[in-house]
Amino acid sequence: MSSRIYNQWMAAPLARRSIRRLLVWIPLAMLLVWTVLPILMTLSISFKTRADVFAAPQLIPREPTLDAYRSVIDRQGFRGAFVNSVVVGLGTALLTLVVAVPAAYAFARFRFRGRHLLLLFTLIPRLIPGLGLMVPLYRLAAALGAIDKRSTLIVVFTGTVLPLAVWLLVGYFQQIPRDLEEAANVDGANLFERIRYIVLPLAVPAMITIGVLSFREAWNEFNLVLALTQTPGKRTLPYELWLMTDTTGFQDNPGQAAFAMLTLVPFVFLYLRIERYVVGGITSGAVK
Amino acid sequence: MSRTSIEQRPIAGRFRRSRTPAAVEDRTSLIGHRWFTPYLLSGPSMIMVSVLLAFPVVYAVWGSLRDAEFLGGPEEFVGLQHYVDLFQDPDFLWTIARSLIFLSGSLVLGLVLSLLFAFALNKAAAYLRFLRGVTIVPYLVSGVATAVMFRLLFNTEFGQVNKTLEFFGIAGPSWFANKVFAMAATIIAQVWSDLPLGVLLLLGGLQTIDPSLLDAADVDGATGWQRARYVSIPLITPQLALATAWLSYSTLTSLGVVLALTGGGPVNATNTLPIELYETAFLDLAMNEALAIVVIILALNAVLTLIYVQMSRRFDIGNS
Repeated sequence: MSSRIYNQWMAAPLARRSIRRLLVWIPLAMLLVWTVLPILMTLSISFKTRADVFAAPQLIPREPTLDAYRSVIDRQGFRGAFVNSVVVGLGTALLTLVVAVPAAYAFARFRFRGRHLLLLFTLIPRLIPGLGLMVPLYRLAAALGAIDKRSTLIVVFTGTVLPLAVWLLVGYFQQIPRDLEEAANVDGANLFERIRYIVLPLAVPAMITIGVLSFREAWNEFNLVLALTQTPGKRTLPYELWLMTDTTGFQDNPGQAAFAMLTLVPFVFLYLRIERYVVGGITSGAVK
Repeated sequence: MSRTSIEQRPIAGRFRRSRTPAAVEDRTSLIGHRWFTPYLLSGPSMIMVSVLLAFPVVYAVWGSLRDAEFLGGPEEFVGLQHYVDLFQDPDFLWTIARSLIFLSGSLVLGLVLSLLFAFALNKAAAYLRFLRGVTIVPYLVSGVATAVMFRLLFNTEFGQVNKTLEFFGIAGPSWFANKVFAMAATIIAQVWSDLPLGVLLLLGGLQTIDPSLLDAADVDGATGWQRARYVSIPLITPQLALATAWLSYSTLTSLGVVLALTGGGPVNATNTLPIELYETAFLDLAMNEALAIVVIILALNAVLTLIYVQMSRRFDIGNS
């Protein structure tokens, strides 16, 4: 803001200044409440007993208890689903990087016949929603006998995040000066060595972003898990949580709340370290 | 000492072989590759995208034109039969209508909140990093977990929403028993889940606006509202179009949130296209008909995206 406007601002009557300040702070307060309240209330209920949910509806639990968490962790299928989610999440992140890095390197560094067309062919499927893949991939997996397998989930989730991963990495690789690689080239570094020692160390931030985004995608995916798993013990957390809510009759509110909170565990650990990468990643990736 | 030790550790020492750099004179080609190297590098990615993303779309179109006489029987070509059946079924037309209501509600609420929060965040200065960090939290919550949270929040007896209404002397509705309120709650939950990207996209747009343009408007005596309406919003039209397209894509294909929040109820009030697809495919096991619904959803999505692109062209500052 220029000093002239600042002077004008200071010269404005106090009332007008505070109104302006309110115009910024009211929406910001709304943003905080809007975002945090659902999570806060769920957290609060997860520390209550079933009876206290009704008897003591205030946000601060009357007698905080971990009973709901114990019951969820002991619940049939929870631990298996948690392990499945971790394995599938990490597997997807890893496989995505392994497949996307060479592809992005090729698109960023080489001029080859059909380069633009092939890049478009990689990126455009980003617009195909996971919902549309449910039935075709279910039939494909059923025909191949690949239902109920973690490896199937890993491969399918990797496929759905590849366009975004390649897109982000191509942009990042292009920013790495070509001269660095040419210098290494003079020193006799071959393709693999250039990627290993020059490109990858410089692309660590982009790779963290992609790792986190693909982990999140796999961890939270529901539609494709619904389509590609059938047996208890093969599902991941969102599916198990849905089954827990999909009962008629008396609802285990603290249990559901505790389950929902437990699905956020990995992000609590990752969050503060990665916020910057994630913000950059989701805005430049634009869609999804 | 330091100098010699550096010289004794040349960069080349890190690489095992030292080849004659024959191709180095040609600056466009780095050595160590043949003509097929880029195809080899991008091959795995190409294959995965083809099999997992492109093939399903082709298969959906193809499969939607076929049908089996009985479950698991051989499939025959039936032409547009499934589409004709679907569009002659009043229930299915209602499902499309409900999807469009869900979509418009989510778009209005989502865009209004995205704009409001993005403008406010743009002025948040010192607290921006913290507040932006808070903003992205819903992005990390799965659709099903979002639904669980909003079931609790909108609970008639102990939910915070009705408690707050009660505080102001208003009797809160039973959200999931009433058709209109169930739709409203679903829209709110869906928007909550989608908002981070909308806000971040618009904020990104606002941050690229040249402050001198806003100063100039200020000199001309524009009010804050006028500056937003006639300067900022036209300048972020591309981001607005992208946010609209994304919100609509996400809402139209949202299964997890709706299924876990209302399951399509009460009495089909929130039975949107994705729920219909899920039920047709995995409860009725009518796979070919389900593929026709997939194609309809994909087509609707494509048409809407084209409309947003057209609209954003019209509102672009160059044309106004």
